[in-house]
Amino acid sequence: MAVVFCLLLPFFALGAKSVVAADAPPLVLGVFPRLHASETTTRYGPMAEYLSERLGRKVVLVASRDFDAFWVGVEQARFDIVLYNQFHYIRSSNTYQVIAHNKEFGKSTLAGALYVRKDSNITSVGQLRGRTVLFGGGEDAMIGYIAPMYLLMKAGLTRSDINARFAVNPLNSVIGVHRKQADAAGSGDGAVEQPALQKVVNVDELTVLAVSDQLLHLPWAVRRTMAPGLRERIQSVLIDLDAGERGRQVLKAAVLTGIGKAEDKDYNPHRKMVRAVIGSQQIKP
Amino acid sequence: MGVKGQLGLGAKFTLTVLIILVCTMAANTLYSLHTSTRFHEKQLVERGRALGRLISLVSPEAILGFDFLLLNEYTRQVSAQPDVVYGVILSPAGSPLSAYIDRVDPLVLARVPETASSDVLDLLRQLDNESELIRLEFPIVHNDEQLGRFLVGISKHTLQRESRRQLEVQVAALTVIVLFLSLAIYLAFRFNVLFPIQALISASRDVGRGQHALVQVKAEDELGQLAKAFNAMAEEVRKEQEKLHRQANFDTLTGLPNRLMALDRITHAISRSSRISHRFALFFIDLDNFKSVNDSLGHAVGDELLVATGARVQGILRDADTVARLGGDEFLVLVPDVINEFQAEEIAERLVRAISQPHVLSGRKVVARCSIGIVLFPENGDTVAALMANADNAMYQAKAAGQGSAIFFTEDMNTRLHERMQMEQDLNQALELGQFEVFFQPIFDAATRNHRGAEVLLRWNHPERGSISPSVFIPIAEATGQIVGIGDWVLEQTCLNWAAWQRVGFAPGFLAINISRVQFRKRFSRRLAELMATYGIPPQALELEITEGVLLDDHNHVAEELNSLRAAGVSLSLDDFGTGYSSLSYLKRFRFDVLKIDRSFVAGLPENSEDVSLVNAILAMAKGLGLDVVAEGVERQEQMTYLADQGCSLAQGYLLAQPMDRNAYQAFLEVARARDAHTPGGTRHKIMLAG
Repeated sequence: MAVVFCLLLPFFALGAKSVVAADAPPLVLGVFPRLHASETTTRYGPMAEYLSERLGRKVVLVASRDFDAFWVGVEQARFDIVLYNQFHYIRSSNTYQVIAHNKEFGKSTLAGALYVRKDSNITSVGQLRGRTVLFGGGEDAMIGYIAPMYLLMKAGLTRSDINARFAVNPLNSVIGVHRKQADAAGSGDGAVEQPALQKVVNVDELTVLAVSDQLLHLPWAVRRTMAPGLRERIQSVLIDLDAGERGRQVLKAAVLTGIGKAEDKDYNPHRKMVRAVIGSQQIKP
Repeated sequence: MGVKGQLGLGAKFTLTVLIILVCTMAANTLYSLHTSTRFHEKQLVERGRALGRLISLVSPEAILGFDFLLLNEYTRQVSAQPDVVYGVILSPAGSPLSAYIDRVDPLVLARVPETASSDVLDLLRQLDNESELIRLEFPIVHNDEQLGRFLVGISKHTLQRESRRQLEVQVAALTVIVLFLSLAIYLAFRFNVLFPIQALISASRDVGRGQHALVQVKAEDELGQLAKAFNAMAEEVRKEQEKLHRQANFDTLTGLPNRLMALDRITHAISRSSRISHRFALFFIDLDNFKSVNDSLGHAVGDELLVATGARVQGILRDADTVARLGGDEFLVLVPDVINEFQAEEIAERLVRAISQPHVLSGRKVVARCSIGIVLFPENGDTVAALMANADNAMYQAKAAGQGSAIFFTEDMNTRLHERMQMEQDLNQALELGQFEVFFQPIFDAATRNHRGAEVLLRWNHPERGSISPSVFIPIAEATGQIVGIGDWVLEQTCLNWAAWQRVGFAPGFLAINISRVQFRKRFSRRLAELMATYGIPPQALELEITEGVLLDDHNHVAEELNSLRAAGVSLSLDDFGTGYSSLSYLKRFRFDVLKIDRSFVAGLPENSEDVSLVNAILAMAKGLGLDVVAEGVERQEQMTYLADQGCSLAQGYLLAQPMDRNAYQAFLEVARARDAHTPGGTRHKIMLAG
């Protein structure tokens, strides 16, 4: 908790300088820690500032130390606005309501995929039985684990049929396969197109073994208890970011190409996969 | 002179320091070359180990989380070091989890064609035997489980390149430091050592030139003490030089410049007057008869007179004029900027007047006279020697002209001087060459005209100038001292001839010989006794004619000589009586037998009343003292008659007989002997042989 408070301090200070004509308490923006806290702050600090200006109300960014701390914040509804994993939204949708989704590399959706080395002689998902599969992120990673695992299950394999390992993120899982640390990698379908991956491995030595259905990208949600007017204003500010230069700068800082409108039913395909892979108990009605 | 000899102290010192520093720098560089690579290699290994351990510590979490990007970041950070060729994390199975290869490193570039597939393991294998590579390996362990290995390859080449670059920088820095230190040392040495030493050198040279500028003492260090010591020494030298200068250039008695300084000032005057075309005058002053002051009043009074004379001369001159004492009673006056001879003459008159003013010395009134020779520059000489010689010459001419005279130098004086010098030289050889000849002028009894003897006269038969009168060359012979030898020869010739004539029966009578005052100083009486004994001459045969000048010399010595002569029985004649001092005290103090009246008194007899009075007075005085009187220069019968009438005992002169040579005198003696043979009683004054 103390760490969270320390991370918040600069933003309190920043907020103090920002002139926001509102007596209401600040809105808290939570971002899930798939990046280091410093990187999270770099990317989404401008977003919080932009929201403050547009909403006329201070918005404070919270970069959690780890997923556990972040999830505690979600469960206790400490965040007014939150950006997180699709699986997290599904799990917290009784408390939070999705209003938008990320667009990365110009796409609103992405799919889970299984990668293998071309020289592995693995050409079907079924051949992964008894093999090591390296998933990106943890078991709560929508694209890095749930979607690829859903592809394995569709091929008749269960979790026990494979040696499941987890890399810290989807890109690393692909790198692990390239470096022969696993036979297959669970990642997003655009992983091999990412410059970060292309800089460290020869993507030509990899191939996609299977790809899931397209799933809407990471969700932006707000507390369900939020006033509808505020919710709509937040949604409007987010989806209109690419309409102006200032907004585009915010998007560029967040390494996004845009933010699109979303509603809860857009994440039903995600619920379907989660239900298949993890079980119904993980999905709130 | 070599280059080393031309270097100053500062340059030598700085060069020495520079050489020492350069040698030190070179030694340091060589040592660095020898040790730095090994040292840096060791350092590099230590650094690699540190990096490796760090990677080993941070990597387990990334390996366990399959965070290859983070592993890449680690290896990239490690390999960012310029000398790291690769950083590779291998799994336990040996496959690379992360690898960073410096593909521009020469070691890698040399193998890139063979590793086109970018196979890291293959590249590592190729580099295994590379001696230029330092390979380090560190295990990555988590909970005792080895998760992988971290390999680091470090290039020695890069290390050496870095070492060389560092060495170059170090050498450049040391070079700058050495140059700076050398410059600083040189400047410090220059200002603190060289400048004081140069000041001392300059001051020493000044002291050597007689200038006494002191050295400024700026510090109390050794150089400051040296400067103080130098100043003390210079002060002592200055005092001593002043003392020596005074002693060398000033007369201790009068305090006036001495001869040396006088010559120096004349030299300066010549130089100055030549430059501005001006005249200057020299006055050579000699006190007349100064010796008599010393003799009669004592040397102390004589010294007082010199001091007073110098002061009086100085009193009438300007500050720009110089009065110097040359020695004895000689003074020199230098007057610059004299316009013409009239001005010089006027100055000479003032000098004569000033010197002639009476002095009261030791309670006595003393009157000094002087003779002055005057020369003008440039008419009378253009060198110091010429001017001094001519002034001296002119002074002697002035002295000859009479007391209180001042005479300008003329070329005629030089002519006479040269003649005199030539005569001195000829005179020097005349005796050896047999150019002298004795003549005899008979002396007769004034009353009876009987032959009584002869005055021995000396003639000089000069091969070119003929017969030269003694009045011409005797003063020169006296002045040069040659008179001693000549007089001795005359004396011997006299004795020789007398003895010869006596042996053959002639009656030569007495022979009167003139004795110079110079001969008196040389134990004349002893020499005379020797000759008389040698030739068997009785004392009555000789008469010694002495002038009054002899008596002016040292009285005791003269008295002793005269007494010795008298004791030997030799007659003494006072020659030229009346022309000199004619002090009657001489006649009282010294016993004479004969007075000789000078021809100048006889010449006017009997017409000139003054001469008559003087001759009468002399004859009366001689009669009173019991002395015989010889009248010289009797040429007329009237003179002879008068002298005889007045009781003059003896006479000589052309009236009676002219001077004649030995043969003629011998013939005269033969005639006299024949006449005596026919005359009863014979010669009245027949000299009897002693014994």
